[in-house]
Amino acid sequence: MISFILADLRRLWLGAAVMILLVALATALGVTVTLQERALRLGSARAADRFDLVVSAAGSETQLVLSSVFLQPSPLPLMPGDVLAKLNADPRVAWAAPVGFGDSFLGHPIVGTTTKLITGTTTGFSAGAVFAHEGEAVVGAGVDLPVGAEVKPMHGTAETGGETHKEIAYRVVGKLKPTGTPWDRAILVPVQAVWHLHGLGAHDDHDDDHDHADTAGAANAPAEPEHHDEHDHHHGHVDADAPVNEAFTQEAPGLPAILVKPKTIADAYRLRQEYRSGSTLAVFPGEVLTKLYATLGDAKFVLAAVSAGSQVLVAAALLLVSLIHVGQRRRQIGALRAFGAPRTAVFSIVWSELFGLVALGIGLGFALGYTGARFIGTAFTTQTGVILPVEFAMEDWRMASALLLLAALFAAIPALLAYRQSPAQALRA
Amino acid sequence: MTSLIVEGVRLSVPDMAVPVLNVDHLMIGSGAHVAITGGSGSGKSSLLNVLSGLERPTAGRVVWEAVDIAALSESGRDRWRAEHVGLVMQDFHLFPGLSALENVLLPAKLARVASEALKQRAGELLVKVGLSRPDQHVETMSRGEMQRVAIARALLREPGIIVADEPTASLDAESGEAVANLLLSIAVETGCTLLVASHDPRLVERMKRRIAMRAGEIVSDTVDAESSA
Repeated sequence: MISFILADLRRLWLGAAVMILLVALATALGVTVTLQERALRLGSARAADRFDLVVSAAGSETQLVLSSVFLQPSPLPLMPGDVLAKLNADPRVAWAAPVGFGDSFLGHPIVGTTTKLITGTTTGFSAGAVFAHEGEAVVGAGVDLPVGAEVKPMHGTAETGGETHKEIAYRVVGKLKPTGTPWDRAILVPVQAVWHLHGLGAHDDHDDDHDHADTAGAANAPAEPEHHDEHDHHHGHVDADAPVNEAFTQEAPGLPAILVKPKTIADAYRLRQEYRSGSTLAVFPGEVLTKLYATLGDAKFVLAAVSAGSQVLVAAALLLVSLIHVGQRRRQIGALRAFGAPRTAVFSIVWSELFGLVALGIGLGFALGYTGARFIGTAFTTQTGVILPVEFAMEDWRMASALLLLAALFAAIPALLAYRQSPAQALRA
Repeated sequence: MTSLIVEGVRLSVPDMAVPVLNVDHLMIGSGAHVAITGGSGSGKSSLLNVLSGLERPTAGRVVWEAVDIAALSESGRDRWRAEHVGLVMQDFHLFPGLSALENVLLPAKLARVASEALKQRAGELLVKVGLSRPDQHVETMSRGEMQRVAIARALLREPGIIVADEPTASLDAESGEAVANLLLSIAVETGCTLLVASHDPRLVERMKRRIAMRAGEIVSDTVDAESSA
């Protein structure tokens, strides 16, 4: 029987190949959507994992998470600098670190922060060590700069028409091990350097008015040209050799966000409660992401519906094709019966041929879908630094089994047709 | 080898008032060589289908030896036919992509009865029908050669009955002659009952008994003098 089926398929190889391809593509679409959606959820959750609690000025929770966890450039409102001093003094806090965004170099965001954050959220250095002077920088694993390289910060990003700061060029002193988060793409510098670069901070003699604060914290000024003009006045108070000073006082400049590591889970909830009122906002990034996924859930549903729809279309098309095919082969099937092949053999031949093709298509579709999801994941990682864990889960095997079962039932329809057909009538046709 | 008694056989089709086959009584002795003639639509193919169990008559009995095949189930008739009837048809019905040997063995393989002995017999039968290349794919053969493969296939399970429906109609004169010779000599040699529906006078005239049909009924039944059929 196998040799007969193989001979048959050899003869009809083009049709069989198209059939396999159709099934494979429809399956791959569904598999890619499922895998990619899960990878995005897992990957971003893992990225947010390192940040227990994020505090910022009252504003958008989603914006805060996107800016702090995913380092997406966007202007954040600033909160007063004394919040940081207060948090650092709080006994429930293991450490609290400011983050200042706004500058970039070769497309990599430059993040002003502290050594505590670096040691607290990363797994160590693959080369060099943490910065000790204002003019030093640490790069993430995804930044293609060696230790000793020079980083010339650009205000904003090249795409938004940023200008290069001429006052300082950071020297890379350390390279971090990969963490699988967007921070792998970041260049980390002492926050005081960011402040000084933008004319702010304890050593600055200028008045700390609102415009300054805005420029220093979230230096996304290009959207508002007048900031640029103002901000130019405040350049030039950076001492690259000054030691890093991480004793933040009440007079610290305004900040866009503070990452807080609470000592216990109970502390985390209490701190969030406390800093949620009034002028500040405190969020668990994981929780914000969960809310975001709930919204995205609808989009996933649409994608899943589209891929299910395509699978139904392909199934219908294949059913039609196989019914026509069985119809065209009535004589051959009738002859098999006439020469003494049992009806069960006729059923088995038609069924195995069809099921074999569809099963092969499903298998190929899973491989193709996995490759596709991996490909998208890699592209996504290159762009954002978020590692998307593309992997099969139990439910995928359940889906594969369900598809195979469906294929088995579906192949039985033309097989049954062939089984029931009278050989005499078939030969007359 | 196998004798036949047909009684009161009718074959009706749903949208026709007159039955396409109406045979009250027919007896064919074991080892007889019978030609069935008649124009198209005369019912000779229907008669062969009923006699070979391809079609169940609407009424009547078709008794081969002691077995009334009209009373068997669909699968029962398939099994009976596979064991007792060798079919040869006008269009050969060989399966492209398979070799001559594979074609001869295919029905037996599908019925799961292809023993080593049967495989060996298949090779011998191909030699017997005059084919020297058992591994040749059938689609590369001439029509005459194809019909020889079909005859070898029909003989594989040593049937007591050979039923041939227009076996020479799609062949040229020379191949037709050869196929006719082959069928007759095998029937003589094995003692099979041979039933042939044909227009071909060269084949018909060589059969000892000739049954003519018209409109589903037997209109004449002649036996050559020297025959005992």
